[in-house]
Amino acid sequence: MNKELHDIEYLLKEAPKKKHFITGAQAMSEAVKRASVDMAIAYPITPQSEVMHLVGDLYAEGHVTEYYRAEEELGTMSAVAGAARAGVRMFTATSGPGLLRGLEAIVSWPGHRIPAVLGVLTRVVNAPLSIQPDNIEMAYLLHCGIVMLHAENQQDTFDMTLAAFAITEKVDVYIPVSVSTEGFFVTHAKGYVEMPDEKLALTKHDPYAAPVPVMDNEVPPARIQRDAPVQKSNFMSYLIHSVWQQEIWDSNRRAMKYIYQYLGGPIEVVNPDADVFVLASGCAAAQAREAQRYSANEGLNVGLVKVRAIRPFPETEICAALKNAKAVIIPEHNIEGWLSKEVRAAIPNGGIVVNGPRVYGGMTLPVELIMKEIYDAYGMESHVLQA
Amino acid sequence: MSKKVNVGPVGYMPQSAPSMGVELSPEGKGLLYGEIVEEEVAMKEAAKALLTMENPTIFPGPQVLWDWKDDVADKTNAILELASEIPNCRIIPMPDYRPKYPKIDPEAEINPNHPNLTILHNRIKACIFIGVHCHYANLSLRMIRSGADCFTIAMCAFMGHEEAMASIRDVHASDVRRFKEILIQVRNELGIEHTPTMPPPNPSLPDEKWDDLSPADYGEYRHLIMSKKGEHVTDVE
Amino acid sequence: MSLQYMVPSANFKKYLPKDYVELVDHGPFGRDASEVGAEKIGTFKELVEEHPMCSGCWMAYFIKVFFAALPNPEDTVTIGTAGCGRLAISQAAVPFIYGNYGDQNAIASGLTRAFRLRFPDRNKDVITIAGDGGMMDIGFSMTMHAWIRQEKFTTIMLDNEVYGNTGGQESGMSMKGAILKMSPTGKKFDKMPATQLAIAAGCVYVVRMSPTNIKRTAKIIRRAIFAAREVGPTFLHVYTSCNIEYSIPTQDVFQDAKDREKDRFKFDEYMTDEVAALIEKLEPKKEKKAAN
Repeated sequence: MNKELHDIEYLLKEAPKKKHFITGAQAMSEAVKRASVDMAIAYPITPQSEVMHLVGDLYAEGHVTEYYRAEEELGTMSAVAGAARAGVRMFTATSGPGLLRGLEAIVSWPGHRIPAVLGVLTRVVNAPLSIQPDNIEMAYLLHCGIVMLHAENQQDTFDMTLAAFAITEKVDVYIPVSVSTEGFFVTHAKGYVEMPDEKLALTKHDPYAAPVPVMDNEVPPARIQRDAPVQKSNFMSYLIHSVWQQEIWDSNRRAMKYIYQYLGGPIEVVNPDADVFVLASGCAAAQAREAQRYSANEGLNVGLVKVRAIRPFPETEICAALKNAKAVIIPEHNIEGWLSKEVRAAIPNGGIVVNGPRVYGGMTLPVELIMKEIYDAYGMESHVLQA
Repeated sequence: MSKKVNVGPVGYMPQSAPSMGVELSPEGKGLLYGEIVEEEVAMKEAAKALLTMENPTIFPGPQVLWDWKDDVADKTNAILELASEIPNCRIIPMPDYRPKYPKIDPEAEINPNHPNLTILHNRIKACIFIGVHCHYANLSLRMIRSGADCFTIAMCAFMGHEEAMASIRDVHASDVRRFKEILIQVRNELGIEHTPTMPPPNPSLPDEKWDDLSPADYGEYRHLIMSKKGEHVTDVE
Repeated sequence: MSLQYMVPSANFKKYLPKDYVELVDHGPFGRDASEVGAEKIGTFKELVEEHPMCSGCWMAYFIKVFFAALPNPEDTVTIGTAGCGRLAISQAAVPFIYGNYGDQNAIASGLTRAFRLRFPDRNKDVITIAGDGGMMDIGFSMTMHAWIRQEKFTTIMLDNEVYGNTGGQESGMSMKGAILKMSPTGKKFDKMPATQLAIAAGCVYVVRMSPTNIKRTAKIIRRAIFAAREVGPTFLHVYTSCNIEYSIPTQDVFQDAKDREKDRFKFDEYMTDEVAALIEKLEPKKEKKAAN
């Protein structure tokens, strides 16, 4: 395919864009189309299948050079690790139970320094089974070292997926990046996305600009075993494993400057001088944004903190944003409240955190639920919402 | 200046430099003790360490040890020019990254799985890492900072290393030569007399020629090399 | 270009440790079978250096022969998984990937496809070598599906009929009745028919063997690699005893391997017509040579 290749900054910021009205799945696929992806590996699970169907079409059209359906997610994720080691740009996506099935491989990617982009289109994790949105699965990714971006809407899905390819291949990062958003609410709903022309694409993957040697017999050393060795303490220090783990988390930390550069930073703050904040990530942030807008209309001094990056967690930025807050309401699409826990642990004034509102199991998040918490924070009367 | 990243030994479990807030320097700048500085400043301090501390050693990694790219030859010339200007300098390679069984010969090589075997055995107090893939460089530098008092210098082809006491980024042959010039300057300032000397070759390399050796040359020990058909050697060391 | 990564930069050759210099000067890289090979062990620098395997480990012996038999070690990548094998394989001068648990054939699927993308005109041999547990139990789905998808790489199963590295547990490839850990009253089901499964899954070249004959072992390994380059997935089921878990005295290990050749590891070679034609082309008969 004769594409005009550009760096990520040009594609995201400077290239002329056209507005399209597309689903979140299409947005993710359109990003893959413009990312000079070499290989994508697919396995069905609702609701991400849609993304991988579209990526399959990209393969048939020539935008992606290699593609196949694997036998299940552990096989998929292991094959991604294999292909990335050979020096090709990888993409795959999964949801809910699929993420968990492939998790053994996925959590090993950072340690193996596998640069890959993983779409996580969230869905309820069994049991009980449901195909509807719920992002508890993201809690399982929090501790593996992967960079985690959370998209609020279709535009975010496009921008973050495209940026993810650039971030994951930075020599001082070189760990996988996941772009998550809620299944159905974002993947199957349409929204406006401004995108550069499909003739433009990201510069190709350079496997030799990497912190680890590519396994293609073209790069020294010859006697190579790239992965962390099994501990046999007579010929290696146990410390090798500790410092290796540290290196993964350092690489995660180093991704922050690129999140600033390409996405405008790990958080977005609306009305920074507010007394009460609504803090949210993913499509809960869209509802939080609405709640902030309603509140402004009612004359309430409410602010919004939208969190784009879950990992690396923007501790400094959130502490600064909530320094003078009276209350912070954290709506989430999961029962645990993993984001509230992260925030509460990060800020010195954890007592201001309101645990909720939360919906899960596929329920939608009406703005009224957030408004109730806002009214409570102000000590105002409100009608209790009936389901 | 404040030294966030200082010469070790730091202790049992090191805190990684990035987790202490050290960030990589932007293009055109270097790192010194974890602070962003002008490259010349970092190079001067590094040169002083190499000239005043014991057993200065250069650790070339796979990316310069093997002739895999066009620019390698010139880079190796530059590294040897630098080595020859450092009094008492040694070159100990890091030929690969996998753990070597049973144990490396610490006078012959350094390995990222246990770099302190080499550092401590040879009492190296100042060293340069060059041509090592960034991941393994970071691991080695951190382990050295944790377990040894050794001034580490990283000359990186990419973005540099937070764990080294001095880190220079985007290093090409010309930068190695620039460092050499600064080192000569510092050496003169310190009043150290030195004629350029090549570092000694690897001590594991034998002097004899093995090419025309045959099992017959082993005489009575021939059976240790190739046992006869049906023979079973029961004596082991 | 690939042999360049095995050529030391001129200035640094005298600073390399001895074993690397020997590999470069006397190793098998870039040399063909007439000069180096399994039958010529002892006359060139082998790819495997020292390794931590037990005394009497038949797997260690097979691995030595395997590396000596490689047709193009400078363009080969091996993939292993948890188990004893990788402790020796990782000590060889051939790039090695540590899989996680049983995922070697899935990794190989990604790797071989990526190599064919990046190097369409070159042979990049991908070989998975793993034990019976990694290949047929925990990795079963990934092993079978790579074959079913017709991924072109070589699979070698080091069958010691036990989970040796983790202390001697029963494996799918253990014999029925074997008393091992986790089967204290004897294994209740039969040894898995690995070669039959491989043939059913579509492997184009499948061999079951006990590696007692160096020449034949080397020839089989090469055939498996050559067939995988062009035709389809190949599989070698190799008996590599664990003398520790099965309490075979070191001096009886070789005899045990020969005994197995008479029963469950009776030599069996299966190939499709396409592979037979390929072998015919690559291994000209000696009679033809004599006639000239």
